[in-house]
Amino acid sequence: MSFSSHYSILLVAVPLAFAALCPIVGMWKRELCFPFSVAGAAAACFFIFSLWGKVISKGVVSYTPGGWKPPLGIQIRIDYVGLFMASIIGAVGLAVLVYSWRYVSRELDAEKIPYYYTLYMLLFASMLGFVVTGDIFNMFVFMEIFSISSYALVAITGQRRAVRAAFKYLLMGATSSVMVLLGIAFLYSTVGSLNMEDIAGRLAMGGYTSVASIALVLFLIGFAVKAALFPVHIWLPDAHSIAPSPISAVLSALVIKMGVLGILRIFFTVYTPGFAGIEGTWTALLQAIAWCAAISIVLASIMAIIQRDFKVMIAYSSIAHIGYILLGICMLTDKGLTGGLYNILAHALGKGCFFLVAGIIIYKHDLRRITSLRGLGRSMPVTAGAFAVASLSIVGLPPSAGFIAKWYILWGCLQKQHYVFMVMVLLGSLLSAIYCFRVVYYMFFVGSHSAEIDEGPATMIVPAASFAAATLFFGIFATLVLPSLSSAAQALLAG
Amino acid sequence: MLWNRRRPGLAKVVYIGSTVATILAILPLYPRALDGAITTQRLVSIAPRISLAFRVDTVGFYFALLLGVLWLLCSIYSLGYIQKNETRYYCFLSLNLSFCLGVALSANMFTLFIFYELMTLFTYPLIIHEETEQARKAGLKYLVYSVSAGAVIMLGLILQYYYGGTLSFLGHGTLKLSQVGKPILLTIFSIYMLGFGVKACIMPLHGWVPDAHPAAPAPASALLSGVILKVGIFGIIRVMFDVFGIELLKTLGVALPMLIVASFSIIVGSLFALTQDELKRRLAYSSVAQVAYIVLGLFLLAPDGAIGGLLHIAHHAFMKGCLFLAAGVIIHETGKKKVSEMSGIGSRIPLTMAAFAVGALGMMGIPLTCGFITKWFLGLGTIQAHHPCFIAVLLISSLLNAVYFLPIVYVAFFKGESPEGESRLLRRETKRSMLVPVMICAGMIIILGVFVTVKGFPYSLVEVVVKAVF
Repeated sequence: MSFSSHYSILLVAVPLAFAALCPIVGMWKRELCFPFSVAGAAAACFFIFSLWGKVISKGVVSYTPGGWKPPLGIQIRIDYVGLFMASIIGAVGLAVLVYSWRYVSRELDAEKIPYYYTLYMLLFASMLGFVVTGDIFNMFVFMEIFSISSYALVAITGQRRAVRAAFKYLLMGATSSVMVLLGIAFLYSTVGSLNMEDIAGRLAMGGYTSVASIALVLFLIGFAVKAALFPVHIWLPDAHSIAPSPISAVLSALVIKMGVLGILRIFFTVYTPGFAGIEGTWTALLQAIAWCAAISIVLASIMAIIQRDFKVMIAYSSIAHIGYILLGICMLTDKGLTGGLYNILAHALGKGCFFLVAGIIIYKHDLRRITSLRGLGRSMPVTAGAFAVASLSIVGLPPSAGFIAKWYILWGCLQKQHYVFMVMVLLGSLLSAIYCFRVVYYMFFVGSHSAEIDEGPATMIVPAASFAAATLFFGIFATLVLPSLSSAAQALLAG
Repeated sequence: MLWNRRRPGLAKVVYIGSTVATILAILPLYPRALDGAITTQRLVSIAPRISLAFRVDTVGFYFALLLGVLWLLCSIYSLGYIQKNETRYYCFLSLNLSFCLGVALSANMFTLFIFYELMTLFTYPLIIHEETEQARKAGLKYLVYSVSAGAVIMLGLILQYYYGGTLSFLGHGTLKLSQVGKPILLTIFSIYMLGFGVKACIMPLHGWVPDAHPAAPAPASALLSGVILKVGIFGIIRVMFDVFGIELLKTLGVALPMLIVASFSIIVGSLFALTQDELKRRLAYSSVAQVAYIVLGLFLLAPDGAIGGLLHIAHHAFMKGCLFLAAGVIIHETGKKKVSEMSGIGSRIPLTMAAFAVGALGMMGIPLTCGFITKWFLGLGTIQAHHPCFIAVLLISSLLNAVYFLPIVYVAFFKGESPEGESRLLRRETKRSMLVPVMICAGMIIILGVFVTVKGFPYSLVEVVVKAVF
């Protein structure tokens, strides 16, 4: 076997190893932690993007560490959705890591910096593990790793309110993890397997209806908390707004999407759409998610409008966008799924940019209130410009990635004739226009005209600006991604 | 490119240069446009069956040419008028020109929508350019109206795409009654009218216009009224000609309700204009009424009516351009914004007020001005469409126009004490860069009213458009 056939395990193992070695490097020389982590993340990115060719030609790349065949051995199973998510994690994770450098060296105590990079790499590696694994228990383990590292990262500053927010996050997160674990236990006790495809096959033989239904409900609630879907979103505004800004960006752009992926895996891989026996429960639960998602969109957008704190506003907007993603998915049509998945990309870039911009503003001026952002368009044109461009995508205006996502989500709703959802999606856009443009307004159209240009450091501006540019790029050259996403959607719908 | 704050002078040069270049780039397309030929250019395919594509057809060319000319006039005027934040102003002005051109030359509804939304957003900085409290409020109102309208248009877009299967303009309607069914067609139609109607300020949706126009600097309001409102009209034209097609519209029976709405706009808009004391507000309400002329003409669904409506796009652009630019001179030179304060200003700025008078006469539809040509064709159209009662609307509107415009001219020239000596008369009236565009607009009103059929003038193009559609 050639080296390249091991890429699927290396993309998880390498960053994990770097995470383990990071404290040791930090003990030796603290400044080396940053380049060391960047090297690890870059290597993971290389492995991820090299896998695209294989996935496009084969559909699924399967890898069994040590040669133990599933269902006994652990299986790494990389399909379109998994690799799509992994690519987003890789690219966004690397960019935010670069951004972190200047931010944490100012905001954190020097002795905490190695821990920061260790936790960051752990978060990065475990998310990658989560999206590529084909084993449901393995998935749970990775979920716990990324959850615990996010709790720690939220609290890393050690401020009182940071600890409190992290604790709230921990309480909800731990409960949801227990639910997922319970669901896995229920399945395992009856079906006797932990491999997702294998479970699907055994479930399809029938006879497990009641236990399978209970497990499904447990999974749903568990992952809905991780995804911060209404009404179990209450941990998100605190945790995302109080965390250090690069961490907010990662939490918002990536970590909550893991909950979405969990729902996708459970509903489409483990319990396949055509699964006999509990179609009733399956459909009813998806309907419930769709309604929760639609309510999320409207309610969270309204909440975002009434916020005064810049980062809390952005955090509420994330809840709304999780709503778009799940709404698209719950339409159960290829277009709706494509739109939901595309919004994962669009939101990762747009919201990543928002939080990075918020971070630059905090880094330079320590401003958090929206009304205090006046005149920043003059003194920090690139930062404020990046925000303005990204807000096009968050609102869903053309030509941006968010528009393509909304277009497909609306198309999906139309395929199922859900006119109410269409109206709610458009209403959500209008509300998001209010909260985004309010910030743009304060940045560009209020305040003094004679301010000197005073930008943040380049390592912070470049990631933020490239996210903004990427939202436009994927809005215009959507055909680069769309075919893969349609294949992903079709594969998911086929089970 | 133009974002160079330290050297506004450079920005001006680059900007005017690019506007002239744009016009020069449009002009060579003229012979093809006159033949009714269509050139399509696909730029990038965004999603399956959705692409960013451009096409030059006659109506698009007509609109693009008008945009270029009016933009140039208003930019020259701006050189004298705009005094602060010039770089930002010119930057957004030129961006808006390119977005408007994008709308005019788009080959499908999707491309049109993209540029339409961009134009909507980038007009905002022009409206609030003065950064006064009034301007901010107007800007907010504008954004609320237009962004909501954008969402509505998007809804129409996805419905059209889903049921019609294509968003391309093919020169005839792409929606078919037999495939889609009447209720859905009516829904799509009303959604589009609602969406584009905001920018085209059809009466119940006109709320932002009377605030935005007075708040914006004069050249920007001239552009707003002259062409940006027409972009909404252009959207309606595309929906009528290329999405539904005239035959389908006739079958659907939507013409009469639209005619009634347009007539309502004309009469009520004029009545509102009558009650305004602030000159630019009065002009804004007049725009509401005048743009409804175009809608009226189009929805007569008769060739002559359509000619009248399409001609009025250019005619109104020059007339309202002239009036707004003249109003700008009045504010700039005398500081007077209200009609009641304007007695005697005719002797202070005689040429401007003369131009204003010409514009006012045009609005009333006096022969030898282009307003008359519009009314003539609209009148013919009403008869052709068997709706002669709408002639009455035209007549009442002319009368109301006379009532609210002539007093301004009257008090300006014949009332109030004359200036205190010869020396004031000899003083230069205003900056040349401002006076010249006003005079050109006034000249165009007469020229377009007299030499209607000259090749290259609106009529020759409009005729080709109408022949192709009917």
